[in-house]
Amino acid sequence: MNRIRNLQGPALILALLALLWIIVILVLLVLKPSVFSLATVTTILQFSTILALVSLGQAVVILAGGAGIDLSVGGIVSLSAIASMLALKLGLPSFLLPPACILAGAALGAFNGVLVTKLSILPLIATLGTFFVYSGLALALTGGAAQSGVPSWLLIWGRGVFSGIPVPFLTIAIPFFAIAGIVLMWTAWGRWIYAMGFNERSARLVGIPVDRARLILYGLSGVLSGAAALVSLAWLGSGRPNIGQNLELESLTAAMLGGIAILGGRGGVGGVFAAVMLLVTLKTGLLQLNVNTVWQVGIVGALLVFVLLADRLSQYWR
Amino acid sequence: MNGREWSLLIACILAIIVFSVASPYYATSGNAGTVLRNSIELLLVGLGMMLLLAMGGIDVSVGVVMGLAAIGVGRALGAGVDPVLTALVGPLTGALLGLLTAAVIVLGRVPAIVGTLGLFGVYRTAIFVLLGGQWLSGLPTGLTVLLGTTILGLPVAAWVIALAYLAVWIALRRTPFGLHLLAIGNSEEKARLSGIPVVKVRFATFIVSGALTGLAATFYVANYRNVEMTVGSTLALDAIAAVVLGGTSILGGKCSLVGTVLGVLLLRILQNGLLLTGVPSLWQPVVTGGLLIGVLGFEVLSNRLSLSRLGWASK
Repeated sequence: MNRIRNLQGPALILALLALLWIIVILVLLVLKPSVFSLATVTTILQFSTILALVSLGQAVVILAGGAGIDLSVGGIVSLSAIASMLALKLGLPSFLLPPACILAGAALGAFNGVLVTKLSILPLIATLGTFFVYSGLALALTGGAAQSGVPSWLLIWGRGVFSGIPVPFLTIAIPFFAIAGIVLMWTAWGRWIYAMGFNERSARLVGIPVDRARLILYGLSGVLSGAAALVSLAWLGSGRPNIGQNLELESLTAAMLGGIAILGGRGGVGGVFAAVMLLVTLKTGLLQLNVNTVWQVGIVGALLVFVLLADRLSQYWR
Repeated sequence: MNGREWSLLIACILAIIVFSVASPYYATSGNAGTVLRNSIELLLVGLGMMLLLAMGGIDVSVGVVMGLAAIGVGRALGAGVDPVLTALVGPLTGALLGLLTAAVIVLGRVPAIVGTLGLFGVYRTAIFVLLGGQWLSGLPTGLTVLLGTTILGLPVAAWVIALAYLAVWIALRRTPFGLHLLAIGNSEEKARLSGIPVVKVRFATFIVSGALTGLAATFYVANYRNVEMTVGSTLALDAIAAVVLGGTSILGGKCSLVGTVLGVLLLRILQNGLLLTGVPSLWQPVVTGGLLIGVLGFEVLSNRLSLSRLGWASK
């Protein structure tokens, strides 16, 4: 315990997350020893690809401060999956499906960015509005029906497994996290994002183009949600209009749990990655124990409230 | 009435004219009753949301709070509890949940949007567990007096809503509580420094908003006599959209009661009209969300163009 107490910042968060993760796995093992096999690990990584991408976008938007939050991520995932599948039906060549999906996400995210930076609407209201517009459009355009017809070559990528690790996880989630980590830690761009989040006024005074950077970050969150939509298409074989349901709650929980300060300026992507793993392990475990999926949203919500309160309490104890 | 409220009133009238031309079913007295009956819950929930936004807070869990309170009311109704007590179950449950929300948000010093989103998840599961995967349906008619009976020519519901608005108006304009609430909305830091009991006022506002949401649940059960799994799924958006349309600032410190009423009516008139002109109900969240963003965006642009100097844009 003493060593944990001496840890600070990111190291402390990673240690705590690892501890929680081990507890979750031990509890699951006691309740149902057959849970953990290589197949389960593959399933967990497969599920976590979508959440990891979305949470990364959420994390950088929050990190950049200015009351930044993206409540529309789930809507972007649903709508970009649906829009690109509808475009395919209208005659888009199938090899253009991946770029179309990601571009759709980028456009929807950039629209959020314009609302927040150019029209200075509070991020929580702007993205709450677009959340309902995007997820509503995904449902209304399809009447709630799944859109089938994903080209088979995409399924090979989406369902492929390389030595127990799903191919989308290897080719999209890991590179995005690695790039984000490097950019945040070692480039001027990364320093700018932390500076904006830490003290926006000072950031403006030293000449950081705060608005342009924030617009790009909302666009980036859209790109990542679009990529998550693509992964869902390639994995499930169809575009589901409700695929993004509850992702805003889960990605926020992952970002908070991963040590991103809600007011911005503090936190790193490593913690977010660990938090995603923890969340998905928990969810998959519950699924294996035949707990109804409706419990998931409650447990994730309770976890979010718990993390927020724990963050507060830990400041009292110091 | 200021410019914003006049433009809302004109928008309501325009919408009614357009829909009357577009659909033969629209301009009937039966439909007017439907629009008003459908506005009851939103008028009450919107009033609570207006107070929260004016204080610089927000609550995205109002829909599920209403759902939980509705389950309480429905259960009491089904068990044959005295109708007066049954009607009180709603506001009491709501107030208790408001207390819980306040404890998390105020004592935990958690941003309201994130905290209530977490509670939203918890309450959603609670609704599922309490209902056990089934609808609460075919409830007795014990509460229909709330909608059917009239006093001095107005239904009980109208009196209750009028009293709630009057009470809030008095609290806002004639008591220190209202002054404190708006001061916190303007700047929490300055309010604290000037000796305003910030924690108490914030607690009280969350509890009042919860009680109003619970009251809405009583009317919901009286109106529909069932509670389904997805109860209140777009209520939070509707409430925020209506209140913001009404001219209440999302940054806090400014609110409008007349605007809230007109915002609710405009929203419900639009939703009802679109349904009657054959637009599927799946489009409703798109329209509401679009309206919210559109109005806020338009407001910023019109201010930027300094139209206010010409005297025909809302301040």
